[in-house]
Amino acid sequence: MTLIMIATWYLYAGAAVAVWFVLYAIGRLDENAESAWIFRPLLVPGVLLIWPLILWRCTVLWRGEDKLDRHRMPRKKQDRAAIVFVFAIPLILILAIGLRQDPSDLAGPIQLEAPK
Amino acid sequence: MSVKYIPVQWNANKWKYDAALIVAVVAYILIYMEVGTPAAGLERPLDNLILRMRAFGTCAFWMLTFILCIGPLARLDKRFLPILYNRRHFGVLTTAVAFSHAVFVVSWYFSFSPTDSYVALLTSNLSFGQVLGFPIEALGILALFLLAILAATSHDFWLAFLSAPVWKSLHLLIYPTYALVVAHVALGYLQNSENQTFAFLLVGAGLTVAGLHFLAWDKERRVVAATTDWVEACRPEDIQDKRAVIVALSKEERVAIFRSGNSFSAVSNTCAHQGGPLGEGKIVYGHVTCPWHGFSYKACNGRSPAPFTEMIPTYNMKLDDGVLYIDRQANQPGTDVEPVIYEVADNG
Repeated sequence: MTLIMIATWYLYAGAAVAVWFVLYAIGRLDENAESAWIFRPLLVPGVLLIWPLILWRCTVLWRGEDKLDRHRMPRKKQDRAAIVFVFAIPLILILAIGLRQDPSDLAGPIQLEAPK
Repeated sequence: MSVKYIPVQWNANKWKYDAALIVAVVAYILIYMEVGTPAAGLERPLDNLILRMRAFGTCAFWMLTFILCIGPLARLDKRFLPILYNRRHFGVLTTAVAFSHAVFVVSWYFSFSPTDSYVALLTSNLSFGQVLGFPIEALGILALFLLAILAATSHDFWLAFLSAPVWKSLHLLIYPTYALVVAHVALGYLQNSENQTFAFLLVGAGLTVAGLHFLAWDKERRVVAATTDWVEACRPEDIQDKRAVIVALSKEERVAIFRSGNSFSAVSNTCAHQGGPLGEGKIVYGHVTCPWHGFSYKACNGRSPAPFTEMIPTYNMKLDDGVLYIDRQANQPGTDVEPVIYEVADNG
């Protein structure tokens, strides 16, 4: 119940941020979004899900603290993630296959006596 | 100055790509339902609901598997590049199929008790301390949440707003997402030891994805050049006219060497608009043109034609013994560089 309540409040907060962000903020942060309204509803699900990250980015952009290499892809990070992934997938599969039960070990269904 | 955002940037190829995707998904689900009913021994009308749930679940799994193969395949072989460019639409459709699977699960397994469906979903199995019988619902929910983030932030706006480093880091979540999905299936349906075919398919899919990523990583590791100022790139004949060859200077930096007739120029491989891979584009009307959104630059100075103002770094090059070399040190964006001229025997 607590988890569902937290998720609900997280989405409510996201909805409030979405109204502010989609109607007001993006037109001031990105010149390509000025007077471009039709695409903005598409952004709402993203705002609902990652609104804390959006608030942080808004702060960075408004303070003019954005890095100069903002177009550079983080290839080293991607390489590291890919290598962890390469080992994680076989590991999960080996573990799951090892846990599989032999059907012959499983007892068959038993018909119970009807209560008297 | 740049171009205004629109909801979806469709063109003729993207329409075909999306149409093919939708036809494939519908065909898979219909065939699964048709073939799966007798194969699974499910003949009662109610069993169709279970089969539909499995059809959407397995479809989402194969789609995600294919998506994860596209990136390394394109890095290993350029012929796969056309399927890379519309991968975002593929991802959004995958999320929709996975979401349908989740809706069918909740509406079938958790709808017939006085407990709220979502409370029942989260509380019916709390055996987090054991591997066999682990609550696979939690793995599926988390994977779906991550997929939703990836799909919801796939519009061009997000790449520009978040910046390439943040956006790409966010989208690296595809790796834990796939791991969660594999665990969701492996600790769930795979434990049904009567279905050996599915076990082989699941293991084959997982190992294929992992193997392709390893091969692509290994290839890039080999091509990262040695630590000299001038990096050996390629022979001029290796570059097709109006096309480019991409050279890795380091783990982070890639350069595109473009050929226009007998003239060779090197620019950054990263488009200043949305970070698109310029070297996978071509020269159109005398300008290097990004394959993602058609942003263009003069090859000799990396400047967009007026009225656009985007600029990318250029690189000095030299020709030595029939081989092109690139200066490791990039010039400031927009710097004029004299192209290398080389008479190519085959001008095609």
